[in-house]
Amino acid sequence: MLGHILGRIVQALLVMLVMSALVFVGVYAIGNPIDVLIGPDVSQEMRLETIARYGLDRPLWEQYFTFLGRVLHGDFGRSFVFGMPVLELILSRLPATLELTLAAVFGAALIGVPAGIYAGYKPDSLLAKIIMAISILGFSVPTFWIGLVLIITFAVELQWLPAGGRGETASLFGVEWSFLTLNGLSHLLLPALNLAFFKLALMTRLARAGTREVMLTDTVKFARAAGLSEWTVLRRHVMRLIAIPIVTVFGLEFASTLAFAVVTETIFSWPGIGKLIIDSITSLDRPVMVAYLMLVAFVFITINFLVDLTYVALDPRLRKARA
Amino acid sequence: MSGSAEAVPLLEVRDLATHFHTRAGVVKAVDGVSFSLRRGEVMGLVGESGSGKSITGFSIIGLIDPPGKIESGSIRLEGRELIGLPSRELRAIRGKVISMVFQDPLMTLNPVLTIGAQILLALEAHEKVSAEAGRKRAIAALAQVRIPEPEAKVDFYPHQFSGGMRQRVAIAIALLHRPKLIICDEPTTALDVSIQAEILAEMKELVAELGMALIWISHDLATVASITSRVCVMRHGKIVETGPVLDVLTRPQHPYTQSLLDSLPSRAKPGTFLARGGGVPDASPPARRSGASPSRGSKADASYFVIQDVSKLFQTPPGILRLLGQKLGLSQPSRGVQAVDSVSLTVPRGEALGLVGESGSGKSTLGRMAAGIYAPNSGTVRLEGEPVMGGGARPHKNTTRIQTIFQDPFASLNPRMSIGDSIAEGPIAHRIVSRAGAAEYVRQWLAAVGLDPTFASRYPHQFSGGQRQRVAIARALAMQPDVVVCDEPVASLDVSIQAQIINLLMRLRTELNLTLIFISHDLSVVRHLCDRVAIMYRGKIVEEGPAGQIYDNPRHEYTRRLLAAVPVLPTAPPA
Repeated sequence: MLGHILGRIVQALLVMLVMSALVFVGVYAIGNPIDVLIGPDVSQEMRLETIARYGLDRPLWEQYFTFLGRVLHGDFGRSFVFGMPVLELILSRLPATLELTLAAVFGAALIGVPAGIYAGYKPDSLLAKIIMAISILGFSVPTFWIGLVLIITFAVELQWLPAGGRGETASLFGVEWSFLTLNGLSHLLLPALNLAFFKLALMTRLARAGTREVMLTDTVKFARAAGLSEWTVLRRHVMRLIAIPIVTVFGLEFASTLAFAVVTETIFSWPGIGKLIIDSITSLDRPVMVAYLMLVAFVFITINFLVDLTYVALDPRLRKARA
Repeated sequence: MSGSAEAVPLLEVRDLATHFHTRAGVVKAVDGVSFSLRRGEVMGLVGESGSGKSITGFSIIGLIDPPGKIESGSIRLEGRELIGLPSRELRAIRGKVISMVFQDPLMTLNPVLTIGAQILLALEAHEKVSAEAGRKRAIAALAQVRIPEPEAKVDFYPHQFSGGMRQRVAIAIALLHRPKLIICDEPTTALDVSIQAEILAEMKELVAELGMALIWISHDLATVASITSRVCVMRHGKIVETGPVLDVLTRPQHPYTQSLLDSLPSRAKPGTFLARGGGVPDASPPARRSGASPSRGSKADASYFVIQDVSKLFQTPPGILRLLGQKLGLSQPSRGVQAVDSVSLTVPRGEALGLVGESGSGKSTLGRMAAGIYAPNSGTVRLEGEPVMGGGARPHKNTTRIQTIFQDPFASLNPRMSIGDSIAEGPIAHRIVSRAGAAEYVRQWLAAVGLDPTFASRYPHQFSGGQRQRVAIARALAMQPDVVVCDEPVASLDVSIQAQIINLLMRLRTELNLTLIFISHDLSVVRHLCDRVAIMYRGKIVEEGPAGQIYDNPRHEYTRRLLAAVPVLPTAPPA
């Protein structure tokens, strides 16, 4: 087990290294930040001096290795635009995205999985058909459109909920969180709902497919033949057996939402990292882009690793057989 | 027989009809079945697949799911009508008064829960037990079905048990509440013969010990004969014959029972066509391509097909770190599984060699090495002196003269390819037949295996199991092989279909002068088809010799045990 974990860490480091090179080259190809950083009316000496100050006159490989060397000391550089350390900048925006993502993904799982199990257990009932119809809607309607509809309905017409921003925040572990205040929660609800909609559909369909399959197996037949109640069959047998694909998708969705909540954050003016990355792309803020993409790679690798560990906990067949 | 006045039978089934309402129409799975069962009686329910025997069992225990529905009839348990009972009351009966054991213990037990947890769930279904008492009961239940070290085994997961042990666990769960009736649906079909013999003996003891009634559902007349006292023969949802097991099997009254018995190779003289194997198709296979094998001689050649000292070790490939560790001498390579351990065999031209063994004995692996599918780790396979596999780092098969027929034709035929294309694919690729001539070639082969030549454009799912196996045979033989490796070709077929396929193989073997390597766990089929038999056990051949000699005078201890484990049909007492 320990050897396995060690192997995974080595793999992760290799992936991160390759990722850093790809990102560095990719970002370099987007454009020269110097054109954005200084106005066109600046003198030639000023221009050269700025280029030299940011190290942009060096060859690409040299810039890359300087960057790598700094990263090893925990320094991702300073943002061109904000003039503050990139790591600090990203970490200050991360909690907003984190709480939005967690609310969306957990909400989707807590509603979607039971709904899917019900739809798989009673596939011919009216409620099951309604659930499946909604899930098709969640799959096919674009996120930004649902966001706009939510704003028009709940913020503009009914005026129940605010249309954007984080609202009041409260401090926990030295970080500002919206979900700790009532006002913050009301700000969180709409964007979380918007972000959850697609995932909700995904979870529902996965849970339904799994349940339908498991319900037909001899395991369930045998449990029923032993006189187990339907509730026990669902709770103890079916839920355990459908868990693995759901955990996989849950992990992947969590990671991708954390990284790419951009659309929702833009619509609801949610000050998370999604907005930060869009801003940094338009202003060619290289250090922010690079650090952000590295962070995304890191999050994906970590979550996949956790998902793999969960497999082993869920399925005893993956553990080493006892001697 | 039942002279003692027993007013109410334990179970009385009258005119039971269970139908399935599918889009294609109504399937009358059970169509007017009646029988009754006394307390402690052991009854067999015999029939081929689709005869309705399992559905009868599920109807009794109240587990018919839509689109199935019990249409009419009555099922009385100690006089109480079960049909129409609310699901709550039915559930209270299931597992408590009537319980059931299924065919495949790998599928019935939940792989992610411990045995103890599953037994506890079954206990809690009918009574309140504390965790402590539940565990004690679980251990006692495991001990009752002869599971060694029950205190430790109770915390095991199903995959940590062998097939026979898993089935014992399922039986333990079925026996938990001391039911009055237990229904066993093909409980030993998925098991090896020696395990089957153990389970049969134990079930007999348990039934006598606990005084419960038993319905034993099976397609296998011999196992039914060895455990039951009375038998019902089912066909097309109806019981065609019923009576004491000896009477039915020795003096069958119904022609269907007679034909079932006639299909069994164990009741026919070895090497003869089976009586009910169907008419022998009259079409002959297409002529061999000229010069296919230049050295083809007519007289038997002792060194025709030689397997010499082959071994196969299966290892999981190590990961990057472990590989690095091995290179540096820090870690040991994983031991792996020695599937075949230096086996040598020589098969003369035209002989049929039977390769017999239980699951895990290495017989399929040996067959695959003989056919050039797996490369042996050491040793060689040669056909007339030519190696079957080319050497090198990535060994590959370098002859088409050896072909394979697999057990499951549904898995071995590409579902998205018409069977005509499947048959023609190999011959076209190897220029045995031209693209233009392929259609005619396929038609000839379909006729030769007894199929309608116009079926060439159909897809595998449009055929029955027996027909699919004929297609698989045609596909293998269309490559014009000299040696055919048959890996359990009749194991998944009903006895009457099995008889047809056996007859077909016997006829084609003589017509094409084929050399056969016939892999099977079924000793009676091997005896019927093969000239010589090799018995495999744990990767080695323990005994080899002419079929008659092995069966009548087994020398090795394992062969004797294997033969003793096979249930035998009662034969008619001499008049």
